[in-house]
Amino acid sequence: MKVYWSNLFVYRTNFFLQTIGPLFVFLFIKLSLWTSIYLSSQKSIIGGYTLEEMLAYHLWIMVASMIILTSSSQNLSEDIRLGKISSYLIYPFSFWEFHASNFAARQTVQVFIALLTVFILLILLPTYFSNISFLFFIQGLILSLMAGFFWFSLNYIIGLMAFWLEETWTLTVLTQVVTYFCSGAIIPLELYPLWLKEALFYTPFPYLGFVPVRTFMGESLLFWQSVLVLLGWILLINLISKLIWKKGIHLYTAAGM
Amino acid sequence: MIKNIRHYFSIYQSFIVTCFAESMNFRMHFLLLIIMDLFFYVSALASVYILYEHVPLIGSWNREQFLFFISIMLAVNQLTMTFVSESFWQFPLLIRTGNLDFILLKPANAIFSTFFRYVRPGSMVNVIFTWSATIYFGIQLDLNWFSWMILPFLVFMGFFLQNSIELVISCSMFWMLEGTGINFLRIELQQLSRWPDFIYQSFVRRILTLILPILLIGSAPARFLFDFNDIYPLLGMGLAIIFFWIILKFTWAAGLKAYESASS
Repeated sequence: MKVYWSNLFVYRTNFFLQTIGPLFVFLFIKLSLWTSIYLSSQKSIIGGYTLEEMLAYHLWIMVASMIILTSSSQNLSEDIRLGKISSYLIYPFSFWEFHASNFAARQTVQVFIALLTVFILLILLPTYFSNISFLFFIQGLILSLMAGFFWFSLNYIIGLMAFWLEETWTLTVLTQVVTYFCSGAIIPLELYPLWLKEALFYTPFPYLGFVPVRTFMGESLLFWQSVLVLLGWILLINLISKLIWKKGIHLYTAAGM
Repeated sequence: MIKNIRHYFSIYQSFIVTCFAESMNFRMHFLLLIIMDLFFYVSALASVYILYEHVPLIGSWNREQFLFFISIMLAVNQLTMTFVSESFWQFPLLIRTGNLDFILLKPANAIFSTFFRYVRPGSMVNVIFTWSATIYFGIQLDLNWFSWMILPFLVFMGFFLQNSIELVISCSMFWMLEGTGINFLRIELQQLSRWPDFIYQSFVRRILTLILPILLIGSAPARFLFDFNDIYPLLGMGLAIIFFWIILKFTWAAGLKAYESASS
């Protein structure tokens, strides 16, 4: 974890441009878009949201994304493609443990940034957070951390695809595009057609944005149900990743050997 | 002049042939690239479609106008993804490893050899989708013959403006230890330009129109096609392209002075 932190802070500009910057730009676009929509339509409520609630929703989406959508499969697939995983066979820790500790190191920084962001937003924009309570905040944080671990596991599987594919970044971007659309990161799921909204709840996507955000905003009825659903998805995806690892490692040929 | 154009055309032909040969070796990647772009295009159009299920207008635009604008931006994006995107991602690597030396030694313009070296054949296929969408929404808007005639030209102008700005920004990589982050900055600017100028507050709109004119990429062509009297943004677009190419000449030269070859 210490090694990861030192790497992260050496390339501070990159870290900001790659991780934090996009979230702020994305937030800025959504705040501008929704303000424009409410002003031009002259409606006070759209999809059950007032303008303040809609802006609060997107502020919470940014905070949740800081915790959830952090890991990437890039380093992982590079390790496989460039034959670096041979080293893990003699290290006193496994390939998964190494990348999980990197994820934990990254997650610690991201949670700190998310908490700092909430603190600043509470001071600057208190009206958007009138519903906030300590219980809802902790529940939202727990769901976000679980969703973050699910996202890491999903990216771990994408990284493992490097056993079969030359490049995996297309899969990473594809997953991000689908997740942004299906998690309610652009538009709250209440505004989606009912059939689509219901279908999405059979997938893990709403738990990567919409559900933690609604919990942050005070809809705690979803909490225990969401914890169970996320646990199920985490177990399933980790089971799949174990199977893929077993299959992949049989195919592996170390570069230069 | 013509001899020069022929020379560069033959070089570019070789680049394309190499990229096609390479992508045919990695067929799954080729296929995934098509699917990835398609998902992005569909999600962009679907998001706007869903929004208009709840409101009749955004700004002064109706659903068809907004979707037409998004289609123009997707057509610009498709050109970028096909012809320059990969080279932008390779550029920081060329600087870090010192492989830029080999490009500088070649008897061809270095900017051309750096930023037009890679073509993504997978993204090329998606021209069918982006132009089908643009034509479909253009028909819905009942565009006249003149609009249809200049539409491809306007899309190419958007492509040129976007990449002129991004080339200038990318030169900052010469002064950085690791320049990959600049590519994320490029993508963030693309995100900002992918929405019409009227959604932004006056101050931001002015900055992103007059100083860093990314909002002209899609808004200027769309506004002109909706109202031929709204020509000033389009003229500004032309001027901005010339301005950024002049700036590029200087920033590239200054960047090369700052460049320390890693391999020597």
